[in-house]
Amino acid sequence: MPAESVLMRFVEGEGTADLDAYVQAGGYEAARHALTTLTPESVIDIVDQSGLRGKGGAGFPTGRKWKFIPKGAPVKYVVVNGDEAEPCTFKDHMLLERAPHLLVEGIIITAYAVGAHTAYAYVRREGYLARERLRQAVAVAYERGFLGRKIFGTDMDLDVVVHTGAGAYIAGEETALLESLEGRRAMPRQRPPFPAVAGLYGKPTVINNVETLSHLPAVIRLGPEAYRSLGPPALFSVSGHVRRPGVYELPLGTPMHELIEHAGGLREGRRFKAAFPGGSSSAILTAEHLDVPMDYEPLRVAGSMLGSASLIVMDDTTCIVRVVARAVGFYKEESCGKCTPCREGTYWLSLVFDRILHGRGRMEDLDLLAHISKGLNGTCFCLLGESVPPSLDASLQHFRHEYEYHIGTGRCDVEDRLPPQHFAARSTGDPGAAAGTPGA
Amino acid sequence: MAEPPATVTLTIDGRAVTVARGTTVWHAAEQAGIDIPIFCYLDRMPPLGACRQCFVRVEKMARLQTSCTLVAEEGMVVSASTPDVRGAQERNLEFLLINHPLDCPICDKGGECPLQDQTFAYGSGRSRFVELKRDFAKPVSLGSVLVLDRERCILCWRCVRFGEIVAGDDALKGFERGFQTEINTPFTQPVRSKFIGNTISICPVGALTSRTYRFQARPWDNDAVPSVCNHCGLGCTVWLDVRDQTVARVRPRETPDLNDIWLCDLGQFGFEWLHAKDRLTRPLVRKNGQLVETTWDEALDLVAARLAESRQRGAGRVGVLGGARLTNEDNFLLRRVFREIVGTPHLDHRLDARPGSASLQVAWGLRGPLAAIPESSLLLLVGCDITEEYPIAWLRMKQAVDHGAQLYAIHPKPLEIHRFITGRLIHSPGAEGVVLAQIANAVRGQKPDAKVLQEAGVDPAVVAGLVARLRAAARPMVFIGKNALEGPAGTTVLHAAQRLQAAGCMIHIMRGKGNAVGAALMGVLPGPGGWTAPEMIQQAARGALDVLYVLGGDPATEVGDAHAWAAAREHTPLVVVHDLFLTATGRDADVVLPALTYAEKHGTVCNLEGRVQQIEAAVRGPAGARGDGAILLELAARLGAEWSYGGWEEIFADARAAVPGLEIGAFRTPPPLQGDWPANGALPARSADLVLITGEVLFDRGSMTARSPAIADLAGPPSVWVHPADAASRGLVDGALAQLSVGAAGLVLRARLTEEVPPGRVYVPRGYDAVPVNRLLSWDQPLVTVSLRAIDAAAAAGPGSEVAP
Repeated sequence: MPAESVLMRFVEGEGTADLDAYVQAGGYEAARHALTTLTPESVIDIVDQSGLRGKGGAGFPTGRKWKFIPKGAPVKYVVVNGDEAEPCTFKDHMLLERAPHLLVEGIIITAYAVGAHTAYAYVRREGYLARERLRQAVAVAYERGFLGRKIFGTDMDLDVVVHTGAGAYIAGEETALLESLEGRRAMPRQRPPFPAVAGLYGKPTVINNVETLSHLPAVIRLGPEAYRSLGPPALFSVSGHVRRPGVYELPLGTPMHELIEHAGGLREGRRFKAAFPGGSSSAILTAEHLDVPMDYEPLRVAGSMLGSASLIVMDDTTCIVRVVARAVGFYKEESCGKCTPCREGTYWLSLVFDRILHGRGRMEDLDLLAHISKGLNGTCFCLLGESVPPSLDASLQHFRHEYEYHIGTGRCDVEDRLPPQHFAARSTGDPGAAAGTPGA
Repeated sequence: MAEPPATVTLTIDGRAVTVARGTTVWHAAEQAGIDIPIFCYLDRMPPLGACRQCFVRVEKMARLQTSCTLVAEEGMVVSASTPDVRGAQERNLEFLLINHPLDCPICDKGGECPLQDQTFAYGSGRSRFVELKRDFAKPVSLGSVLVLDRERCILCWRCVRFGEIVAGDDALKGFERGFQTEINTPFTQPVRSKFIGNTISICPVGALTSRTYRFQARPWDNDAVPSVCNHCGLGCTVWLDVRDQTVARVRPRETPDLNDIWLCDLGQFGFEWLHAKDRLTRPLVRKNGQLVETTWDEALDLVAARLAESRQRGAGRVGVLGGARLTNEDNFLLRRVFREIVGTPHLDHRLDARPGSASLQVAWGLRGPLAAIPESSLLLLVGCDITEEYPIAWLRMKQAVDHGAQLYAIHPKPLEIHRFITGRLIHSPGAEGVVLAQIANAVRGQKPDAKVLQEAGVDPAVVAGLVARLRAAARPMVFIGKNALEGPAGTTVLHAAQRLQAAGCMIHIMRGKGNAVGAALMGVLPGPGGWTAPEMIQQAARGALDVLYVLGGDPATEVGDAHAWAAAREHTPLVVVHDLFLTATGRDADVVLPALTYAEKHGTVCNLEGRVQQIEAAVRGPAGARGDGAILLELAARLGAEWSYGGWEEIFADARAAVPGLEIGAFRTPPPLQGDWPANGALPARSADLVLITGEVLFDRGSMTARSPAIADLAGPPSVWVHPADAASRGLVDGALAQLSVGAAGLVLRARLTEEVPPGRVYVPRGYDAVPVNRLLSWDQPLVTVSLRAIDAAAAAGPGSEVAP
C-alpha cells in the first residue's frame, strides 16, 4: 500500500458505508470545498490537470470528457456507470459495498462542475448488496442535506436516482446503458452524437464509471499535482492464479510482476504462463511482458491495454485454448445482436472451438479462426465484438502448439503434462473450469 | 460568423462528387452512381449502422467506416471498392449467410431479394461454415397476415424500427440477444398494427411474408399494373401484381408526396374480395317476388323503359345514390345520363349522411397537400379517428409529432394513438361543438368558460394549453371527421372551424371514401332543386320517386337510419343496384346489375386532396359483369342518346371540358370553408343511460372486407365496447354475448371490456354488414341511449334476435 491511499482507506477495516464513519474520515469535505469555494470551471480544470482517466475500460481523460458538455444547455444529466460486468473486474462493487459515499460525493462534485441537477446511478442487477448500500447512502445523504435542495447552503440542487440494471454485459457500454436507462433494449447507439452532446433523453450527459467518480474527493482534497504524484492512483482487480486475489490500490505504472507480488504471488511450484492485463477484453500477454508497467501507454505498446485494470493471472496449469474458448463463449452470450460481425462471428467461433475441444478439430480450423477473427476486427458496431480478436489472435500467435495438440490428438497438452491428482477436484461441465481457468 | 458552404465535395473511387452538406457518404455514392451494398439502412429512417455491409475506406481514418452513418466532409477521399473494403463486405456476407437457409428456390423473396442480389454481387460464392445451420419450427404466425421464417432473418432491424419510427405502433421487437435474437411481437400476442404489411416490403430477405401471397407466385411471374387503392379516400398508389388474371398481391407504389412507399394493411391485404366466388356475373330482376337471373338486354331494356316512363310522368321522379366507388369517367357518365337524359336533379354520392347534417353543407377533402402535414406544429383532430379512417395520414402526423408538433384530439373516446397526443379532450357525446366553439373564441381573445368545458367533460387546463399553442403555432391544422360532421353539433363545429380558419388554421374535412371527391367534382351532387341523399330517402318513403338508382353503395347498412331506408325501399316502385355482390340493398332491389371493380377498369380517380390519378385495369373481372360506365352508356343508347365514346380517354376529355383543371397529376383542392352555419351553444342533456357512440374502423366486415379472409380475421367479431365499470354493473364479462337495445330494436354483440371507452358510453364500430348498427340509430335522434344486458347463448339463438357469429 502506498503512503497515501486515496480510496482503500475508506474501504479497509469496517469500511465507510456508515455516513458518520465516512464523515469522520473527512468525507464530504471535498464536495463542500468545491461547492462553496470553487467555480465549476475551476473544478473541471483541477480534474483535467489531475490526470484522472475513466476507469471503466476506455481510459478517456475525465476532465476532457466534461469539457465537451455544452455550457448553455438548460438540462444536463450525470449518469454513473455501475454496470461493472467485465469478467474478473470487481472494484466498483467493492467501492459501492464498502465506501458508497465516495461515489455520492463524487456525483455531487461532478454535477456541480457540469451544471447538472439530476444524476442516475445505473447499478448492475446482480450487485444486490452494492445497490442496497448505495441506496442507503443516497437516502442518508438526503437526510443530512448533502443531496436535495440547497446543498451545503449553496444554490446547488441535486437529485440522485439509483436505477437497477437490466442484466446484460452490453449495458456497461455507455450508450447501451443510456438506452437501457430510458427503458429500451440495451443496444449501443451510433456516435456521434456523443452522450456529452445528446445523451440521456437527448440531453447533454456525463457518464462516468463508479471508480472514476470515487476518485474525485481525493482529486479535490489533494489538488491536481499531489494527486498526480501518487501515480496517479488506481484500483487493480487481481484474480486468477495468485494467492491473494483482490483489489489493490497502487500507482499506475506499477510493473505487472509487482502487482502479482502484492497479490501474494503465484502458487507454490507454479510458473507464470500468461495474463490478461485489463480484463478479458485485453489481449493476453506472456512471460516476456512481466515487467511491463501497468499503465495505458506501455500496455498499448505491448499489444494489449489497461482496460478496467483487471489482471487475470494464469499459471502453467492453464489450457489457453480453453481460456480463449471460455472468453469467446462469454462474448457470444453477451453480444446484443445488433451488428452482424459480433452476433454471427462470436457464434461461429464458439462452434469451431466447440469442435476443437471435443476432438473434432481440423488443422484448417486454425486459419478459419484467424479468418473469422479478421471479420470481427475493426468491423463491429461497438467494442464488445472487437474484444474477441486481440486474445484470440495472441493465443494463435503464442500458443499455436496448444491448438495443434488439441486438434492432432483430441487431448489437451496441459492435462497430459500435469499429474492426474491436479485435476482431482475439478468440476465438470464447464470447459473453462476444466484446466483451472482463472476467474471461472 | 461566415456560413459554411451549402455543399461539400469529396472523392469516391477517384470521382469528385459534390453533395449537400450533411449528406452521408452512402447517399453521396448513390448520387454518383456508385453502388454500396447495404441491408439495415432504409432512407425513410435514420441510419442505424447495424448490418456492417456498407463499409468504405476513408483516407486518414484508421478503421473502415460504415458509409450510411458517415457524413461527407469537404475533401474526404473515399474508396468503396478497394480490396480491404471488398474483403470486409465479403466476410460480412459470409457471416450473414452462416445462419441463412439459402432456401431461395421456395422463398417468396427469391428474385426480388437484396440478400440474394448482394450475395451475387459481393459474396465469395463459397462458405467455410461446415456446421449444421440453425433449424427452427416454422413459420411463426405473427397474427392474421404476417408470417415469420426466423432462420431467414438477418436482423437488419428494419421492421422493428418501422414500428418505432414510422408507424409508432411498436408492433415488433427484438427478443433474446446475440445470435439467439429473434423478432417477435410483445408478449407474442398477434401483431397489433395497421401498417404491418410494410415490414414485408422493407424486409431485405424473405423472413417476413404475408399469408395472402405466401407461395402464390414468383416476382417474375407477375405483371405489375399501376392502380390506386379505393378503400379510404386518400387514394394511395399501388401496384396490382397480376398472375394468370388474378391479383396475387397489392404493393405500395412509391409516390413521395402521397403514401410515399407505405400502405396500410387494408390497402395491402384487403383485395381478396376481387376474386370472391360470389361476385355477381348475371343481371338479376325481380319476378314474382324473387330475384332471378336474366340477360343484360332484358335487364337494361327494363330499366331504360322504367326510366323513360318516369321521365314522361315528369322530371325529378328518379333519385341516384352513390358514386364513390366509381371512376371519374363513370361518374361523369352518371351525371350526364341522369341530368341530361332522364332529367332529374336528384343525384348524391353522400348516401351515409344524416338529413341536414354538416357533411352536406361543406366540400369534402384536404385544403392542402397531405405532404404538408409534417410542416405543421399543431394538429387538432375533431371527431376524426385518424388511424381507423385515414391511416396513411397518420404516418404524416407521426412525422409532425417527431418534429415536435403538438397533437390534440377532440373525441368522445380515447384514440388508439393516445400516447402521441399532447392533450386529450374526451368530451361527453354531442359536446364537440361547444368545446370547439370555446376554443375558437379563446383563440380570438375571449376567456373560455371553465364551467361549460367541465360540463362538456373536458379539462379546461388542456383547452388553455391548446389555445396558447394554437396562437403561436406554425401552419396549424384542424381535421374534422365524420363523427363530428354527422353528429348533432356538426354545424356548430363548422361555425367554430371557420373562425379558427380566420385565425390562421387550415381546416381539412376528413370525409369520404374511395373516389368520393371525384364523384363530387363530376357533379354527382344535387342539381338545382335537387335533393340530398337523405332527402331522397325521405321523399322516396313518401312515394315521391319512381326509381331509386344505387351504384356501388349499400344504403341498407350504410344509411344512418335503417328504418328510413326500409321505408324508402318499400315505397319506391323500382330500385336498381349496380354492385359486385348481392348486398343487403341488392337483396331487396328490383334489378341488380353486376359491375366491375377499380382493378378491372381504366380511368381516373381523385383523392381527398383533389389529386387526379390514373388507374389501369389489371384483370378482366368475371365474365358477365360490366363496368358502371358501360352500363350507363347502354342505358343512354336505349334512352335515345347518340353518344360515341371510343374509350375512357374520350370520356375524360369531355369531363375536362366540363371541369376546369381536371388533369392527371393536378390537384383540384377544395376551397377554404365559407358558409353561414348555425351555431348552438347548448350542451346536450345529460343522460343517466348508456349513450351509444359509433365510428368507422379500418378493419370491418363490409361487403369487401368480409370477403378478404385475412382482413376479416383482423376485424374480429361484431362487438360492443363497454367500460369495465359499466360491464360489471350489468354482469357482463369480456367476450360474453350482450343484447344492445333501443326500444324494440336490438342487436346481439360480443362485449369487449376496455377502458378505451369512457364510462357511461358504449361504442359500436360501423361496417359490420351482418349486424349493422344503423338498426339502432335514428335520424330523429342524434344521440341514442341504449340498454345493455348480458344474455346467454341459448337464449340469443331464439327467433327474432340478431345473433353475432
